[in-house]
Amino acid sequence: MIDPVPARASSVAVLDDDADLAATVSRLLARHEITALPFTDPHDLLNAWPTRHFACVVSDIQMGDMDGFAFADALRKHDPAVAMVFMTAWPTTTHAVDAVRRHGGLDYLEKPIDEARLIAAVGDGVAWSARQRRIAALTAAFTKREREVFDLLVRGHSNKEIAQRLGISARTVEDHRAAITAKTRTNGLAQLIALSRGDVLRPLPANPGNFPDSLWEPAK
Amino acid sequence: MKQGHFTIKPSAHKLARRAFSANNAGLILLYAVGFAVANWAARPWAGAGFFSLWYPPAGLRFAVLWSRGARLTPWLVLIEIIADIVVGTISLTHGSALQEITGAARPGLSYGTAMGLVRHLSRGRSGTLGLPPMIFGMVAIAAPALNAILVIPFEAWLPAESDRYRSGVDAAISLTGLAVGDLLGILVLAPPLLWLSTIARLKHPLPWRWPSLRPVLEDGLVMSGCLGLTIALWRAGLGAQTTPSLLAGAWIGLRHGRTAAWFAILSQTLVFLPYSAGALDDPLRLELHLGIASSVLVTWLAGSFSDAQQKAQAALDRRNRMLYQAQRLKTLRAMSVAVIHEISQPLSTLAIEAAHLRSATLGLGHDIAESAALVNRKAVALSDMVRRLRRFGGREVDEPSALPVAMLIQSACQIVSFEVRDQSKNLHCGPISPDLVVHAQEIELTQALVNLLRNALAAGQGQVVSLLACAHGEAVRIIVNNPTSLVTATREGTGMGIGLAIARTIVEAHGGQLLREDKSNSVRFVISLPLFKGPARLEGGAR
Repeated sequence: MIDPVPARASSVAVLDDDADLAATVSRLLARHEITALPFTDPHDLLNAWPTRHFACVVSDIQMGDMDGFAFADALRKHDPAVAMVFMTAWPTTTHAVDAVRRHGGLDYLEKPIDEARLIAAVGDGVAWSARQRRIAALTAAFTKREREVFDLLVRGHSNKEIAQRLGISARTVEDHRAAITAKTRTNGLAQLIALSRGDVLRPLPANPGNFPDSLWEPAK
Repeated sequence: MKQGHFTIKPSAHKLARRAFSANNAGLILLYAVGFAVANWAARPWAGAGFFSLWYPPAGLRFAVLWSRGARLTPWLVLIEIIADIVVGTISLTHGSALQEITGAARPGLSYGTAMGLVRHLSRGRSGTLGLPPMIFGMVAIAAPALNAILVIPFEAWLPAESDRYRSGVDAAISLTGLAVGDLLGILVLAPPLLWLSTIARLKHPLPWRWPSLRPVLEDGLVMSGCLGLTIALWRAGLGAQTTPSLLAGAWIGLRHGRTAAWFAILSQTLVFLPYSAGALDDPLRLELHLGIASSVLVTWLAGSFSDAQQKAQAALDRRNRMLYQAQRLKTLRAMSVAVIHEISQPLSTLAIEAAHLRSATLGLGHDIAESAALVNRKAVALSDMVRRLRRFGGREVDEPSALPVAMLIQSACQIVSFEVRDQSKNLHCGPISPDLVVHAQEIELTQALVNLLRNALAAGQGQVVSLLACAHGEAVRIIVNNPTSLVTATREGTGMGIGLAIARTIVEAHGGQLLREDKSNSVRFVISLPLFKGPARLEGGAR
């Protein structure tokens, strides 16, 4: 019932100040059915962001005036749901740790690049990004109180406990729960928990109109 | 450099043998003759209460002990007593023979003690006072002083009936006279004797070099000016004043070191000693000799200080050169890392495209597919090489890890194998148990071992340098054994002389010790490191 989003549905940006390498990595990804666009300047990529979203960015670390880490931080301000994969010709232990822990990188690749590892990292990145976007879309449809109830609900709290924690009556919690179920078109707590993890549900029933379709896999 | 870490443990009979070799027998015979002659030459400056105010045998004794070591002391004492008996200074039939013999033994004993003591105290000291010129200067003062002081206990134990050392105020005069005579003897006679002995022992004599004219002229002018002043003062009826020559000596010593200082001392003594040997009463002569002694002492110390300063400066210059070298190596490393980076960037593109080309051409003609496969293989090989080089040049690789000693020894032997072949030497590695594992930084520890091997190969004379390792309690001992005699092990000129110091620093940083444990016919350095008892050992030493 729950499927990850296939990689081919999303696109990837490859950022390296060496235009040849950026183009080569893009073509490599394309050969593995991942659509990718090469960029040589981080500013170009940031400027393109409002109109063009990428699921994953494969970025060099040492670049001209803006390094890969600064770029990642700037990009996260625009879009927290983008996955980052770093590559570098100057590998150091400190950078490797920073790349993953501080800048949310999924992997840290040493040049010359290990192709299989790159493909795997980008695939993971695209799937992670899709989940993040679904979670963001889900929470965007809720009211503030519905969001609070939802968060406690998926963590396994009962209606009574939620009512106590939020200082409202159990009856009101039930109302919020009904609204959440209606908005997400789910039929039970298990599906709600799956949604909170960013999983995709199927099949697609009729959309009541106020909830994004992207949460549901298209009916076959 | 601290010497304390190298423990040399010769046995007692070996010490005795080293103390009196055939080589020393000739020297001691020569010493006996020299001592008798110098003793005789000191007589004109004798006085009541002291033997002589100018005592050249002290210089002779000092020179022999300084160059051959304090271990010759018993022999010198014996020779001095025999010489005194032969020339009749000690009369065995006389009732005070025992006192006279102990009196004759005292100077030799006190010289040996003072020399051993000062050398021991200055060991491991850094700074100007710890440098050889200053050590010589300090021993030159300490030895006569100790000799004079020791008179008191010797006299208390066996009072001489003759009035050589008198009591009360006169005792002060006696002892001062004794110290002054010894000091003058040492500072005038010992330096040239030591220079002669150094020159005689050089295998390849240094070519004679004339001193440059300017300092000679300057020193000559200063000295003759001051001696002229002394004569003028004497003519004016003020007596023989030593102050001008003290000033001149200090100036000359500080300006041009010990050699110039010695010539200044020589000219001072040549002017004053004939005068004081003449008709002077004892107090006046003692006063004059006190003046001469202080002037000679100041001159010599000034020269020693100047030389010590020069040595310190030379050491500093050497360190600066090493720093410069280190800086160059650092630049070189940065350059190689940059080169690796510059290569890896285009290589990344090349490797990806080559892999693509290979898979794309699989269905095409055999020839083109083979070419593409070859290009891909080379790109992969090049990528591997770049990664490996980067790992070697990078810092993070040399983190402490379980390291089998066999592997350490193997890589060290590989590194020096070229030098072994080049110098047609032999390096033998014994079988090493794979169970011996240490926790260490591989690159650093290999460097330490390589340094020891290089030293051994450079010092050996065609023999086999052997390398062994064995467990010893909780430690592993890696032994570099070099079959060569102790005398030939000292060498000069090759390398910067810091290999051993670096090796010791590395070994100590690993919680180990570098010991020197010489055998009778070999020099051996032992690296002792704690054995590693981690999981690697259980796996049979695999890393």
